[in-house]
Amino acid sequence: MSLSAPGRGWRTARITALSDLLSPARLAGNAIRMTVQVFLVLCLWRALYAHTDVTAGLTRSMALTYAVLAVLMLQIRRADRFAARDHVFQHMHYGTIVYWYLRPLSPQRYSLWRGVGEQAYGFGWAAAGYVACLATGVIGLPSSAGAAAAFLMTFAVGQSLLYYLGLLTDQMCFFAIKNASVVLIVKFTQNLLSGAYAALWFFPAWFRSVSALLPFQYTLGVPLSLYIGRMPAADVWVQLAAALGWVVALAILTRLLWRKAAVLISAQGG
Amino acid sequence: MHKPAAEAQGPAIEARNLAKVFRTARRRTGVLGVVRSLVAPEMVATTAVAEVSFSVAPGELLALLGPNGAGKSTTIKMLTGIIVPTSGEARVAGVIPYRERERNARNVGAVFGQRTQLWWDLPARESFRILRDIYGTGQAEHAARLRELDALLELSAFWDTRVRHLSLGQRVRCDLAAALLHDPRVVFLDEPTIGMDVVVKEQVRRLLRHEVEQRGRAVLLTTHDMTEVERLAERVVLINHGRIVMDGTLAEIRTRFGEGWRVHATIQGPAEPCPQGLAVLGRDGATVVFGPGAENPVTVPQALKLIIERYEVADVRVAESDLEDVMRAAYR
Repeated sequence: MSLSAPGRGWRTARITALSDLLSPARLAGNAIRMTVQVFLVLCLWRALYAHTDVTAGLTRSMALTYAVLAVLMLQIRRADRFAARDHVFQHMHYGTIVYWYLRPLSPQRYSLWRGVGEQAYGFGWAAAGYVACLATGVIGLPSSAGAAAAFLMTFAVGQSLLYYLGLLTDQMCFFAIKNASVVLIVKFTQNLLSGAYAALWFFPAWFRSVSALLPFQYTLGVPLSLYIGRMPAADVWVQLAAALGWVVALAILTRLLWRKAAVLISAQGG
Repeated sequence: MHKPAAEAQGPAIEARNLAKVFRTARRRTGVLGVVRSLVAPEMVATTAVAEVSFSVAPGELLALLGPNGAGKSTTIKMLTGIIVPTSGEARVAGVIPYRERERNARNVGAVFGQRTQLWWDLPARESFRILRDIYGTGQAEHAARLRELDALLELSAFWDTRVRHLSLGQRVRCDLAAALLHDPRVVFLDEPTIGMDVVVKEQVRRLLRHEVEQRGRAVLLTTHDMTEVERLAERVVLINHGRIVMDGTLAEIRTRFGEGWRVHATIQGPAEPCPQGLAVLGRDGATVVFGPGAENPVTVPQALKLIIERYEVADVRVAESDLEDVMRAAYR
């Protein structure tokens, strides 16, 4: 990544929001999708807790808050880059990836700004959903001020991790032009092991032990467990250290892969 | 803005013995072959470009011509810095493009056929703004360039339309504008007018003439459209099987490959075999088109003599071969 790149490349961060704002149908689609998902998740978890008050250390209200917040957090990386034809997969497929190497903004930096913009835009949607759910009493506030602070810290680091995990699957396109299968596997694994489908507290101990060795739970499960108070706020430092370790490791790995990709572009650039 | 004094500067593009060899895995057939390819892939080296040398001066348009797979696009990709040559050296506006990609990017603009660099979901004008930000072009400068390009390409009629809704001709015009907005010294155009109608093609040619003659840009153009070459190119480099076949003016290429003639003869009577030194290039009813044969080609007077001696000729006409014929001969 060149630090001397002049220009105002950071403004590419607004592309995702701009594309959506120019498409009222897509905005409406986002709002409807989020509402339907929240509604269905509420139905599911209310049904699951119909005959019990506490399971896996989660009360009914904790489980509902966790599940709804998980749906909202998933919105953060839901921007439809496929529709906008700005996914690495499509650029490789159509050969337009060459333009990424013909601008005074390196591909890694462009990717970073696009990722930041995409997540900031998605965060806007999640935040709007959060306020609406809080106002309607669907979810509760953080269990304590300490939990709120712990949530915010782990959430911020979790977003960096989320960016690098997404980037890693994008970079796969340079090595295997069609990475749709990889994306599907990673997406499912990420959702399952991050605790997006169901909090990891519901899984057996061995499953939780395995998932603790992987980066996914730091993107969603850990921040939300701190929010609802299932994980003590005092654990935040250990969790943060582990998450930051993953961020550094993935940052190094993706940097190496960018270098490798710059060489491979010769064969696959179209 | 004035055309810079070309003679006072070095070449805008300089390629010296450029070569590119790709190493790819050879696929074996059959189930066992597929497994073997996965376990122990057999790597083969393919030479895409070999010992390519040429230069382009500022204010010059050079047409890089050749059949499909000749190595034109690979050459352009090396000159734009996208790929690194296996050997040889390139300099574009004084910069080694594959070593200083970002610095090189400020000096060059490029259009690769129908591949767009515009953002699909945004109006074209918004894409231009994003490129302005990426290149750090000033607002006033950007507006002035956009006005100039609008005057040449009539962009304002559709630049507020989202790119996904533009026609091919509109989109390519926007892509040309996108490639020129940052005022590059060198422009690479890899088949920019492919699939476009004659009106748009003419508009693009006008733009290119303007950019070369008025703005002094060096343009490297690849195309299969010989009308485009005749109207735009001062010089042509012919490339085939990755090697330069010829570097010269159109007149020189005609002399070397055109053999300069076709004889259209209306023949009566029985069909006779074609005389030696001649070749039958086509037939239209009783009219046979003769050209020089592959072996011991003859001159026009010799051809006329041979045809008249061999056939019962009702009518005969001699025609200069057009550039497409010349290229066909050159590619053989």
